Amino acid sequence: MIRRRALSDYAIFVALAVECVVLAVATDAFFTADNLSNVLRQNAFPAVIAAGMTFVILTGGIDLSVGSVVALSGVLCADAIVRDLGLGTAVAIGIGVGVLVGLLNGVVVTRLRVPPFVVTLATMLIVRGAAFKYTDARTISGLPPAFSTVSQSWSMAIVLAAVFAASWLLLMRTPFGRHVYATGGNREAAWLSGVRVDRVLVKVYVLCGLGAGLAGVLVASRLSAGYPRAGELYELDAIAAVVVGGTSLMGGRGSIWGTLAGAFFIGILNNGLNLYNVSPYDQMMVKGAVFLAAASLDRWRK
Amino acid sequence: MRRLLTVLIPLLAVVSCGGTGSPASSRPVIGATLLTGTHAFYKDLEAGMREAAAAKGFDLTVVACEMDPAKQASQIEDLVARRVRALIVAPCDSSAVVPALGAPERAGIPIFTVDIAAHGGKIVSHVASDNLAGGRLAAEALATRIGGKGKVVIIDHPTVASVQDRVKGFEEVMARYPDITIVARPSADGQRARATQIMEDMLQAHRDLKGVFGINDDSALGAANVIEAAGRRDIVVVGFDATEEAQAAIRRGSPLEADIAQHPRRIGETAIDIIARHLSGEAVPAVVAVEVEVVDESTLAAK
Repeated sequence: MIRRRALSDYAIFVALAVECVVLAVATDAFFTADNLSNVLRQNAFPAVIAAGMTFVILTGGIDLSVGSVVALSGVLCADAIVRDLGLGTAVAIGIGVGVLVGLLNGVVVTRLRVPPFVVTLATMLIVRGAAFKYTDARTISGLPPAFSTVSQSWSMAIVLAAVFAASWLLLMRTPFGRHVYATGGNREAAWLSGVRVDRVLVKVYVLCGLGAGLAGVLVASRLSAGYPRAGELYELDAIAAVVVGGTSLMGGRGSIWGTLAGAFFIGILNNGLNLYNVSPYDQMMVKGAVFLAAASLDRWRK
Repeated sequence: MRRLLTVLIPLLAVVSCGGTGSPASSRPVIGATLLTGTHAFYKDLEAGMREAAAAKGFDLTVVACEMDPAKQASQIEDLVARRVRALIVAPCDSSAVVPALGAPERAGIPIFTVDIAAHGGKIVSHVASDNLAGGRLAAEALATRIGGKGKVVIIDHPTVASVQDRVKGFEEVMARYPDITIVARPSADGQRARATQIMEDMLQAHRDLKGVFGINDDSALGAANVIEAAGRRDIVVVGFDATEEAQAAIRRGSPLEADIAQHPRRIGETAIDIIARHLSGEAVPAVVAVEVEVVDESTLAAK
C-alpha cells in the first residue's frame, strides 16, 4: 500500500522527466535555450492559475470562473494603462478584480450552500459577459512596449517561482494549509475539531481568483492587448494540470509541486506536439488520453 | 512500476510515431498558424496550402489557435523554435498578434499573413481576397436587379478591416447610380440572429426598401429569412462568401439572389507561391489580392 502510494505520488515527476528526455533525444529543436525559454513563458500563466486551483480542489471544490477572470482582469488592466493610470494601479486593478470574483464565489458557496460547480459556472458567464460589455467585444490595443516586459521569460520565471513558493509555504507551513487538507479530507471531522470550514473555503476561492487575476495581467502583457475572449477554456487546462499533477478531485490529497509538474507536463506535451507537426485533432486526442490516464492513476491509488 | 509503464509507454509511442519523417527531412519547412481549423473557409485555405507546398517541395506544418491569441503567440514561438523557413499567420486578432511577431522577426524568418492582416509587425506579403472588388461586384449585382433605383440598406460589421473594404467598394459603385440611396448601415456584427432583428426593424423603418447588402452570408441569410417571412417579393438581397447554405438559398429562389464567392483554396495556393518566390530571392508585392466572383442562379446552373 505504501509503495503503491509513493509510486503514484511521484508518477507525474517521472512522466515529466521521461517526456523531457524523449523530446531532447528525438528532436533537436526541443533542448535549445530559446525553446526552453518559450516553454517557461508559455506555461507560466496556466501554472499560476493551476496553483490557485490546487487550493480549491484540495477542499473538494472546483472553480470554473478562472478563464473569464483572466479576460476581465486583462481587459481592465489594459484599459487602465491606456487611460494612463500607471502600471502599478493597472496591475492592482487586474489582480483586484480576480480577488473580488473569488470572494463572491467563496461567499456564495459558504453562505448560500450552492455547490461550487454551479456557483462558478454562473460567475464564469457573468464575468465573461462583463468583459465583453466593458470592451463592446473589441480588443483594447495601443499599450506601451514597457508593459510587455512584464511577460518576458525572466520576469515570468520570477512570478512563477514566487507564486509556487508562496503556495507551498501556505499549504505546508501554516495552520491554514492543514485546514485546507482537513476540510477536503473530511469536512465534518475538520469542523468538529475546530476548523472554521467556511472561512477556509472563502480563502481558497479568493486565492484562486488572485491567481487568475494575476494570470490575466500576464496574458494582457504577453498580447500587449486586452482581449475579451482571452482565457476561454483555461479553467479546463488548470483543472487538468491539477489532476494530472496527482491531486484528487475528491479533495484532501495532493501537492502543489505535483501541480507545477502537471502544468509543465501538459505544456511541454503541447510544445512537443507542435514541434513534431502532430495534427491539432491528434493533439486533442493525445491530451485526452493523458488526462484519462492520470485520473485512473488517482483511482488506482486508493 | 509495471502499471506506471503501461501508462507511459503508449504515450511515448504516440509522441515518437508523430515524429516520423518531418524533423529528419531536409526539405524546407513552412509553418502556418490559422485562427481556426474547424471552419470550412480555413479548411479550404489549408487544403490549398498543402497542395501547393507538396507541388513545390516544401514541408508544411499547420496549427490552429481556435481564436485564442495567447495560444497563437505560443504556436508562433514553437514554429520559430523549429526554425521554419517562412511563417504564415492568419491572426485571430489583428492587434493582439503583433507582439508575437517579434520572435520570428528577430530570428530572420519572413512573415506572411493570409486572409486577415496584422496591425503591425514586419510582414513580407499579405494574401487575401480582393474585398474592394467584391464590394463593387456586389453593388453591380444589386443595382442591376433593382433596376438602378430605390432605397438600399447595408448590413455592416464596421470593425473588421475586410468588411470595411467590401463596404467601400459597394458605396463607390452605388455613388454612380443617382436614383439609388443607401438609407442605413446598421451593424449586425456578422451574426445571423442580430441581422434578423435588424432586418425586422428596417422593414418597419423603410417600407419602400428595394435592396439589402449583407457583408457576409450570416447577415444576408438572416435578412433574407425576414424578408421572405414578411412575404416581400420586391426586395433583393446580395450576400458575401457564397457558403453552401447561401448557394442553396439562391437555387431555391429566396430573396438572396446573388453572392460574392471568395476562393480560400486559391488564397492558400497563392500564399505558398509567394513564399517560394520570396525564398528564391524574387521581390514580391506587399499585398496580393485574390480575385472574387459573383455567384447567382445562372452561374450555379452552369456548374
